[in-house]
Amino acid sequence: MSTKIALSAAYIAGTVAAALSSGAFAAPLSQDQVKAAMDAGKEKCYGVALAGQNDCAAGPGTTCAGTSKVNYQGNAWTFVDGGTCATMELPGDRMGSPEPLDRDMAS
Amino acid sequence: MRSTPEGVAPLQQPFEEVFGQVILEPDRPEPDFVIGPHGKAAAKRFNVYRNNVTHSLVTALAEIFPATALILGERNFRMIARDFLRANPPRSRLVFEYGHGLPDHLAAFEPIRHLAYLPDVARLERAWLDAYHAADQAPLWPGEISAIPPEALAKTRFTPHPAMRLVRSDYAIHTIFVAHRGGPMPHRIDAGVAENVLVTRPALQVEVRRVEPSQAVFLLALGDGAPLQEAVEWAAKGDPCFDLAAAIGLLIESGAFSACQPATHDED
Amino acid sequence: MARDPIDTSTIHGRFPAFEPAGRAGASFKPQHLEAIAGDPGSIGFLEVHAENYMGAGGPPHAALAKIRAMLPVSLHGVCMSIGGLNPLDQTHLDRFAGLVERYEPFLVSEHLAWSTHDDVFYNDLLPLPYTDGTLARVCEHIDRVQEAIGRPMLLENPSTYVLFAQSTWTETDFLREIVRRTGCGLLLDINNVFVSATNHGFSATDYLADFPLAHVGEIHLAGHDEQEDDEGAPLLIDSHDRPVADPVWTLYERVIRQCGPITTLVEWDADVPEWPILRSEAAAAERILGAHRQRTGRSMKSHALHS
Repeated sequence: MSTKIALSAAYIAGTVAAALSSGAFAAPLSQDQVKAAMDAGKEKCYGVALAGQNDCAAGPGTTCAGTSKVNYQGNAWTFVDGGTCATMELPGDRMGSPEPLDRDMAS
Repeated sequence: MRSTPEGVAPLQQPFEEVFGQVILEPDRPEPDFVIGPHGKAAAKRFNVYRNNVTHSLVTALAEIFPATALILGERNFRMIARDFLRANPPRSRLVFEYGHGLPDHLAAFEPIRHLAYLPDVARLERAWLDAYHAADQAPLWPGEISAIPPEALAKTRFTPHPAMRLVRSDYAIHTIFVAHRGGPMPHRIDAGVAENVLVTRPALQVEVRRVEPSQAVFLLALGDGAPLQEAVEWAAKGDPCFDLAAAIGLLIESGAFSACQPATHDED
Repeated sequence: MARDPIDTSTIHGRFPAFEPAGRAGASFKPQHLEAIAGDPGSIGFLEVHAENYMGAGGPPHAALAKIRAMLPVSLHGVCMSIGGLNPLDQTHLDRFAGLVERYEPFLVSEHLAWSTHDDVFYNDLLPLPYTDGTLARVCEHIDRVQEAIGRPMLLENPSTYVLFAQSTWTETDFLREIVRRTGCGLLLDINNVFVSATNHGFSATDYLADFPLAHVGEIHLAGHDEQEDDEGAPLLIDSHDRPVADPVWTLYERVIRQCGPITTLVEWDADVPEWPILRSEAAAAERILGAHRQRTGRSMKSHALHS
């Protein structure tokens, strides 16, 4: 730790105390405040997410993803731009969108 | 006792073992012990289970990684997710815990190497759901720090809130995350800007904020159990302009920590 | 073994006690929370999948606590893997028992199926052969669940797409024997009966005639999809993504006419509609229950578990 910049404990104590008393930031809502909001019917506070639910629904049919024998890991596969990746730019002119746009996928 | 029907061989190994292996390998025929009624074939019948397993898990991954799926496009994402789950079926029964291995899988998948930011975006999405399900705990209250005698502050340690996650990246993952999860979508995103993201859930809403590199160092050091002075020194080492007052504000506002303990006499 | 009937007056009472036996309910989906909270009287009860509330904290628990304060809740496990070879997972069992303790559900149920083997979770309700060996294992697992939760559970009949060459028991005999050995009750899924009957070419009416109806503590209804088997004949899929089919309503009406009102759930798990649509499906079940409530005078208690 010899390369660390030495900062005095007094500096830290002073800065923290000043920060806390400045009122420049707000503490998050307390659990009680959140509960009060929920009890008042503000269900938005639940921030409902439906990601990754365990459910009882059977998937579709007898011929879909589960029966495809194509293994994209093992096979040569060229990524075909289908999403928003073309929006993203990377340095060195390496754009999100790939060069060859040939659709060579078996399904 | 009821013995095995006439002409039917008893099972040689647990049926679950064969059933489970074959269900993720569509190249293999259905197990010989599954049958249709009245001598009917069971190939399509068994495929219903293949589809249930694959479809439900691909769908779960698409829900857990919605930004990743949007970036790749639904069709690309579902193919990649399907290959991922065949190689990495879930070990947890809780579907919302699935997919921690997906970011590394994306990073290792050659055809999408050029989407260099993607694995970190996926890491951020996984961190978001971890925070969502983390234990409920009240975040640190400013008064708890104020109550510490000034001379004890430097050696005070902080307890990370159960929902706190930090994802550091060489890419603009916060900008990309926000644009793909309900925020406005810019015409162009410069993905090459390094961004560090703090994920917290002080109450019920998951909060995602971009933090300065020195703030990330500071929060990570505190999260690892370093006393305040040491965390400040680590942060200032990388950035001489590190603003401690702002970092304390961030620490409080974000709810990243749940408690603090001033040094005991033994440590002095 | 003899077990006490479910008696809502003996549980902890952190939540209000309700008497939902013989009422109709619906699957609880978090997107319906606000609509349900605005009119909780519009439904008899709600059912949740236990696993969705097995996280440590966060919005799922806040939402469940809120609906439980308004309505009776039944807890439906979907991946205990009771029909699997491996011993029950202790962590999972503890989490399950913890939910029973915390939310005081009026019914607790699981499936005659397996979903985990050697640590791999397949996220589907997979079928098992009906043999002496699997019977003993299922009963052992149910005993463990009932010990962990301190009360009887209901076991649900599955919908299946394949049969096993090694099976020596009919499904109804298998279920009857499980009830006799463990004292558990049954969850009769009438859509599953119709799906399996169609897929395996037997009569749903005969199946129900042979089903130990006296032990049924809850009925499930749901919609199904129709595909084709290898021979081009109908193969029904238990998709839970649409309204209950007419023939399933017919079978249901017959069971209620015969038995009197039995707590009934309408399930909907994929392509979930707006709350009023799901609520109206439950209301349709409620009308059938109401039509037979006066006539039969069947006790509103959880009689199915007294035997």
